[in-house]
Amino acid sequence: MTQITNNITDVLVIGSGIAGLQSALDIGDSGYNVTIIEKSPSTGGKMISLSKVFPTLDCASCITTPKMAAVLHHPKVKTMTYTEVKAIRKISDGFEVDVEKKPRYVIEEECISCKKCEEACPVYLDDEFEYGLGVKKAISIPFTNAIPQLPVLTESKCIRCGACAKACPKDCIDFLQEPVSMTIKAKAIIAATGYEIVPMGTKKEYSGDTLLNVISSLQSERLLAPHGPYGKVLRPSDGKIPDNIAYVQCASSRDKSIDVPYCSRVCCMYAIKQAMLLAGALPLAEITIYYMDIRAFGKGYEQFYAQARAMGICFVKAKVAKISEDTEHNPILRIDRQEDGSKPQDQTHDLVILSQGILPTRKDFFGLDVALNEYGFIQSAAPTLSPALTNIDGFFVCGVARGPKDIPDTIMEAGSAAMEAVNYIKGKM
Amino acid sequence: MSLKVDTGFIKKIKKYGAFDISACFNCGNCTAVCSLSKEDASFPRKMIRLAQIGAEAEISSSLEPWLCTYCGECSTTCPRQAYPGEFMMSLRRFLISKYDVTKISSFFYKFPFIQNILALLVFIVSLGAFISYHGDFAVLSQKIEVIFPFYISLALLSYIFIMYKRVIFDKYKKVLVSFKMKTILPTITQILKQIMFAGCTELDLWRGMAHVLVMSGYLLTLVISVFHILEPLTIHYNWLSLQSFLVFYSTGAIVLGGLSMMARRTIKKSPSSMFSHSSDWLFVLTIFLIGFSLLITHLANIVMGPQAHGVEMLYKINVAIEVAWILIIVPFTKWIHLFFRPIAIYLQHLKEERDLV
Repeated sequence: MTQITNNITDVLVIGSGIAGLQSALDIGDSGYNVTIIEKSPSTGGKMISLSKVFPTLDCASCITTPKMAAVLHHPKVKTMTYTEVKAIRKISDGFEVDVEKKPRYVIEEECISCKKCEEACPVYLDDEFEYGLGVKKAISIPFTNAIPQLPVLTESKCIRCGACAKACPKDCIDFLQEPVSMTIKAKAIIAATGYEIVPMGTKKEYSGDTLLNVISSLQSERLLAPHGPYGKVLRPSDGKIPDNIAYVQCASSRDKSIDVPYCSRVCCMYAIKQAMLLAGALPLAEITIYYMDIRAFGKGYEQFYAQARAMGICFVKAKVAKISEDTEHNPILRIDRQEDGSKPQDQTHDLVILSQGILPTRKDFFGLDVALNEYGFIQSAAPTLSPALTNIDGFFVCGVARGPKDIPDTIMEAGSAAMEAVNYIKGKM
Repeated sequence: MSLKVDTGFIKKIKKYGAFDISACFNCGNCTAVCSLSKEDASFPRKMIRLAQIGAEAEISSSLEPWLCTYCGECSTTCPRQAYPGEFMMSLRRFLISKYDVTKISSFFYKFPFIQNILALLVFIVSLGAFISYHGDFAVLSQKIEVIFPFYISLALLSYIFIMYKRVIFDKYKKVLVSFKMKTILPTITQILKQIMFAGCTELDLWRGMAHVLVMSGYLLTLVISVFHILEPLTIHYNWLSLQSFLVFYSTGAIVLGGLSMMARRTIKKSPSSMFSHSSDWLFVLTIFLIGFSLLITHLANIVMGPQAHGVEMLYKINVAIEVAWILIIVPFTKWIHLFFRPIAIYLQHLKEERDLV
C-alpha cells in the first residue's frame, strides 16, 4: 500500500452530491483550493439518479451534470472519486484527514473512456445505480453521464478472463492495483454526506424486501428517468406495463414503531412529481397516492399538488397498514378508508411504490466528535442564524447531512456553508 | 345531528387507563391492521376520533370495545405510539361505569385504592365474623352462597338493561330481538373464538391458554358454588371422587392461568399486558386467591377429614375471599366482560340484521 502525504488544501468537502458540488464550486470561485472526497466512482450523489425535480419538472441530470463537469474542470477544485475518508483529526491549524483511494484496476491517466472493456466483459451484475432494477458489467463506467468517465472493475465478481485487458486499446487495465492511503491537511471541512433511504424491509408489515412489485421511491425514479433501466415504466415481476399504480406515503417516516419519528420532508412532493410523470408516461393508468397529510410547503408546491389533483391523480387519506400480494404478485394494500366514517378495505394494485423516508448516512464522523441531533443528523450549532456551523470550529455542514430537505434548500445551504468556510479561512490568515 | 365538541372528554376518559390518545393523528393504521375490524364495526380509530371530539353519547352506545380482544397489533404498529389497544381496554372500563347506575364502578376506577382497601376490609370483617360465629358454618356458607347469584344477577341485569337501551332501544326506538340461526350461530362461534383470541392475526398461545384456563376454571367454581356441590365441612372426599376431580381441574386451571396472567403483567412483553390498571391486578390476584384457597381447603379435607379444625378455618378464609370478591370486585371490574362480550356480539349481529332491512 502506497502512502502519500503533504497534500494540502484549503477546504475539504466530503461528498459530491448536489450539496458538495455546489459548495466546492462556490469556494473555488472565491479563489480557494478545494478537494472533494467522494466514496462512489462518480460525482453527482443521489440527485444524478433522479428523473426530474419538483415543482418545475426540470430534468435532474440537466442541473447536476453541468455542475459535475464544472467541478471536474475547475482549476481550484480537485476531485477524488472512489475514495473514502478513514479518519479525521483536529489539529491546531485545521484538520488532518486520512483517506483511502480504492483501486479501479484501470490506469486512470491512460483511459480514454472508449468502453471497449465494458463491451468485452462477459459478467453481468446488479446495477446499484439502478437500485437493482438493471444490470451492468463487472467492468463498467458507473452510468451514462458519470464523471469522471472511468470504468470500475468489481474485483469480487471478476472471473479474471482477461477479455477487458485484451480489448483495451490503451492497455490500461491493471489487475495489480492496490488501495492508496494518503493524508490530507485541510483548514476547514464541509460535510455534505447526504442520506440513505430507509431500507425496504424496515417496516415488516409492508414486506417491502420480499414482494416483487413493491419498489422504493428511488427505484421508481429510475423507472421514470429518460436513461432508466428499461427505457419505459414496467413492473419488475413480469415486465407488464402497470395500469394501476399506488404510492404509499410515510412508508417509513413519521412512524415511531420503526424509530423514524420525523417527517422526511420530500416524499409528498416527489410522490406527486412521480405521479405526474407516470400520468404522462402511462396516460391510461390509474394512480393513487395514500397519504396521511400532504405537506406541500415550498414555493409553488401547493399549486403543484393542485395540478396533480386536476390531472386526475387520486389522493386517498389513509395510512397503509399492511401489504400482501395475490397469486399474480399484485400488491394488496390494507387501509382504513376514512371518507364517510371508517371502513377497513383491501385495495389491489399492479405496482406499489413505497415513499421511503430519509436516514442520515453516517452516525459517526471518522473519529471526530461531531454533535448529532436525536435522529442522527448533524446538529447545527446555530440553526436559525448560521445553519452551517457545527460544534467543531472549522467543520461545517450542509444539505441533508443536517436534516431532510429538498434540492433548492440544499443548494442554498451549500452556498451558505461555502461562505462560512471561506470566512473562517480568511479569519485564520 | 349536531354535536358539541368537548375537548375535555379526553381528560375524563384518561382516568380509566394510562394512555394518551391526543398523540393520535387519525391515520387509520390501527383499524386497517386489526383483523377483527369490519366495515360495519370499525375500530379503534373511529372510537379514538369520537373520544377526541368528545362524542360521549356515541361512545356510550358503542359495542366496539367489547368486540376487541386486545391482541395489541394496533399498539405495536401505531406510528404515534398512542396505544389504541390500551384505549379500547380503557373504553371497556368507561362503558362498565356507564352501564352502572350506582356509579360505584366509575368511583372505583378513578380511585382504585379505595376499591382495594374496601375489598380487604370486607375480607377481614367477614373472616372475623365467620371466626366468631359459633353455629354450624356449613349451613351458613350454604346460605351465603345462595345469595351470591341473586346479587350478581341484580347488578348484571341492570347493566344489560342499560346497555340494551343505549345500543338498541335509543337508536331504533323499539325493542328488538332475534332468534334467527344466522344471528345466533355466528354469535356462538365468535364467542368461542374470542375465548382463545383466535380472531387475531397472530395467535398468542400463552395468552389464549391462560385465558381459557382461568375462564373455564372460574366458570366451574361458579357452578360448584352456586349448586353447592362441595361441602368440605360435612363430607370427607377422597382423591378420586367426582367432586375432587372438579375441584382439581377448576382450581388447578385458575392457579396456573392466574399465575401466567400475573407473570405476563410483570414482564410486560406483549402490548396486552404492558399497562395494568390497578383493577386488573386486583382481579387477577383475587381470582388466583380464590382458586388457591379452595384447592388448599379441599386438599386439607382429603388429608385431615371434614371435622379437622384447620379445614374449617381454611374454608372460612375461602368463603371470606369470595364475599369480598362478589361484593366489591365482580360487579365493578372486567369480570363482567364474561357476560358483556357475548351480549355485545349478539347485539352487533342484531344491529347488522336490522340495518340490512
